[in-house]
Amino acid sequence: MEFNEAGPAASRRALLRGSALAGGGVAAALALAACGSGSSSAAAASGTGNFPATPKFKFVFVNHVTTNPFFQATQYGIQDACALVNCSYQWVGSETSDVSQMVTAMNTAITSGADGIAVALVDQTAFNAPTTAALAKNIPVVSYNADVTTNARLTYVGQDLYAAGQQMGQKIASLFPSGGDIAIFIATPGSLNIQPRADGAAAALKASGKNFTVKQVTTGADVNPEQSAIDAFTQGNKSFKGLFAVDAGSTQGIANVMRKYNLKSQGYHGGGFDLLVPTEQAISDGILDFTIDQSAYLQGFLPVLYLYLYKLSGTLVSPPFTDTGLKFVTKDLVAAYLKTQNRFEGSAAKQLYLH
Amino acid sequence: MLSKQRIPGLAGVSRTLLRMRELSVIAVVVVLLLYFGVSNSAFFSSSNLGNIANFTSAAAIIAAGEVFLLVCGEIDLSTGMTFALIPFVMMSVNDHGVPMFFAVIIALLVAAVIGVFNGLVSQLLKLPSFITTLGTLYLLHGITLKVSNNFPRPAPQDGFLMKILGVGEWTEIIWAVLLVTLMQVILTQTRWGVHTIATGANTLGASEAGISTQWVKIRAFMIASTFAGFAGILDGTHISHSFDPNAGGNDLMFEAVAACVIGGTALIGGSGTVVGALFGALLLAVLQDGFNIQGVSATTFIMIEGIAILIAMVLNTQLGRLRRGVKEG
Amino acid sequence: MTGTTPEPSAEPDPDPTGTRPPAIAVENLAKRYGQVRALNDVNLSVQRGEVLGLIGDNGAGKSTLIKILTGFIQPTSGRILIDGQPVVLSSVSAARALGIETVFQDLALINTLPVYLNLHLNKELRAGPFLRKSLMRRNARSYLNDIGINIPSVNAEVAQLSGGQRQAIAVARSVYSNANILLLDEPLAAMGAKEGGIILDLISLLRGRGDLSIILIAHNYSQVLDVCDRVALLQHGGITFNKKTADTSAEELLDLVANEYRIGGSKAEGRGSFLTEIRDARP
Repeated sequence: MEFNEAGPAASRRALLRGSALAGGGVAAALALAACGSGSSSAAAASGTGNFPATPKFKFVFVNHVTTNPFFQATQYGIQDACALVNCSYQWVGSETSDVSQMVTAMNTAITSGADGIAVALVDQTAFNAPTTAALAKNIPVVSYNADVTTNARLTYVGQDLYAAGQQMGQKIASLFPSGGDIAIFIATPGSLNIQPRADGAAAALKASGKNFTVKQVTTGADVNPEQSAIDAFTQGNKSFKGLFAVDAGSTQGIANVMRKYNLKSQGYHGGGFDLLVPTEQAISDGILDFTIDQSAYLQGFLPVLYLYLYKLSGTLVSPPFTDTGLKFVTKDLVAAYLKTQNRFEGSAAKQLYLH
Repeated sequence: MLSKQRIPGLAGVSRTLLRMRELSVIAVVVVLLLYFGVSNSAFFSSSNLGNIANFTSAAAIIAAGEVFLLVCGEIDLSTGMTFALIPFVMMSVNDHGVPMFFAVIIALLVAAVIGVFNGLVSQLLKLPSFITTLGTLYLLHGITLKVSNNFPRPAPQDGFLMKILGVGEWTEIIWAVLLVTLMQVILTQTRWGVHTIATGANTLGASEAGISTQWVKIRAFMIASTFAGFAGILDGTHISHSFDPNAGGNDLMFEAVAACVIGGTALIGGSGTVVGALFGALLLAVLQDGFNIQGVSATTFIMIEGIAILIAMVLNTQLGRLRRGVKEG
Repeated sequence: MTGTTPEPSAEPDPDPTGTRPPAIAVENLAKRYGQVRALNDVNLSVQRGEVLGLIGDNGAGKSTLIKILTGFIQPTSGRILIDGQPVVLSSVSAARALGIETVFQDLALINTLPVYLNLHLNKELRAGPFLRKSLMRRNARSYLNDIGINIPSVNAEVAQLSGGQRQAIAVARSVYSNANILLLDEPLAAMGAKEGGIILDLISLLRGRGDLSIILIAHNYSQVLDVCDRVALLQHGGITFNKKTADTSAEELLDLVANEYRIGGSKAEGRGSFLTEIRDARP
């Protein structure tokens, strides 16, 4: 699984498509949908775009951290796709990575006759039985954001959390060619949306062969004490010159702390995940090295299209495995992100044409 | 040992100190400070003291209001959610063109209204405040997510107003100390404070004496939620320079209540100390900061924090018993 | 509280002192809850400076009478007169404004506040918004001295006082509020001899002042006789006995109350116990 680090000249549209659209079927579907509401040639009353009328499908997205700002962009993606193909959606699950809550939500979706389910498979076994049950009732199931290969889902849309962590680990290794003390800040250890990132990073650092001491530091889930925790750690452990995080809040905390003490000039490197504005600002100001964009928008947008086409075509159009890509947002790329708040990053609800 | 007349002079001073219910929590804080100070040379550095101040402030400000509520026999579980909501109310109002100064005032008024709501529902509908504010908690959380579009936004940093509302270096802890002092004076030196204590210790008796216990309680609810909203504005502006819909929350509320209790305020009502709550918050902050600076491993940290809080509580209550000399029979 | 017709009122009120009207009097006072008659034609009066002991079995209506006089509930019919003037006690504050203070069994003291603040509860002395604590302490000390209540310190939290001391403080607080008429609901309940003694001394002292009228509900008849000028028995919702304590004795009172339920009847026409009915029903 490779990632494409898009060149500086890449247009926004190309960035969005990324390396994901290997399947020509999907590209065609997008083109058709983008045609707008032209008159349909078929005799039947018009559905959306060129498509015939269908019942208004309802797709249920089961998520593990329903109020996490990362997934706000995902929800915008879902909304926009649903508007395109005239479907509705429901956003359910757990606020706190509670798997049994998620399983219950999924079962409710099955019994209430959802037309399609997208679920973040954050547990190795818990979702396997519900997935099989859904498929038995002809309800298509796809996974997004997190995957389990033993699950019977039709396909996976996303960038694996563990793999993303590994990428970050490799990036860190390149920033510290002779090894060093690295702190990995994690808000809530064990949380299924971020622990795999940390594990991947630690594993990659170990596999690099260089002399790294990796320390996992808990920061807590509340963004202000999180920053104070990072602050306190850096002040008390001056040998740790690598400050990296696996969640949005901790990444922002690192950015602010590095800014406060001007750590970049003291040989520190810092980076993390997700697209909070202070993080992006710090990258732009040369204070933070990078953040990682995991295309949250696409993780909502594409599953809706896949499920719709699967239903429309009576299972003929099979959803392809889709790597939504991972992008290291460094100083040369961050300007576009900062330009204005937008749906693609989750930071604003307004529909915008960015150019 | 009980109810001795206070003798002026040095003996009296030490006896007065010993009678201070806050003494036990202050003693534990001093012990912790010494322990961590010895273990890590950076502990007493100015930047680390700043971190301790930051850890303390939000809980201390909320506790200053929560003590009043606890004293009159009630509780507000929704303060953590008010903490998150009010900054977004302020920003929304400002987005609509209202100057920031008035936006702050309006946001604090909204916080007060939340308190009035909590008070009216629990007093007039005779619902235990635990239940009422539990409901408000969820309601406010949902409203916050909606108002914020579930995404954090940067906190304003420019101008004199924001400077005193958090941008200035020690502003948050200064506000915390000011508000704690204000509420302690009100509790111990004014009629309002006496009536609050009376309402909590013996609601029926207080109302028989002619005190409007319902209004005493509603006022306390208003203070708690207004302080919570104010803390939200200060904390986001000061530390992370951003307002997050998931900031504060239940963890912060529990921390504030724990600070009250550790500081010597009884959960059943009738007595309390705001200064004690400040030291309770400081105790929790020193624990959190101390462990961070030691670099205690992630998974062990949470366990140790829990044990440490228990030990601190036990020490505190034992010292308190010693001070009171529990009456037999 | 029964449905039967009561005895007609016992002997009329005693000779008033001079031509002064009683400090407080009730005429034909009745209170009905639906079909149940809690009080039925109660006639009673207390002179200024007089202590009236009110006795009667549980359920006779003593609490109801006290609640009416406190302003807590309204009578169904009848009149209340204060210093000869008819009044309406529409609420507790209205009663208080007329100088009626009550000390209920729960005492209404704030355990976590010191004695001096309890004495000034809702009447705190202030300078601006701030409490004048030293002044209130001085007032409390001198006042308690005046009425002979011996407390080690007015700074002591009420919780640290003995039962008798607490009761005394509660009574003192009522008197301190410039009461003219004091109603004491079982002040000696659950108190040992020593503690009860404190209260009895206090009541005697207050009686000696001559300006207070006190109605005292009690069960211990010998204690009642000790401090009261008159004793009245509330039975079946009405006053069936009303005499100066000098003219009666503890035995007579006991007889009156206890014998109501004995087989063989009593001085007051009672219902008779169920045993009577069994006895009469036997073939």
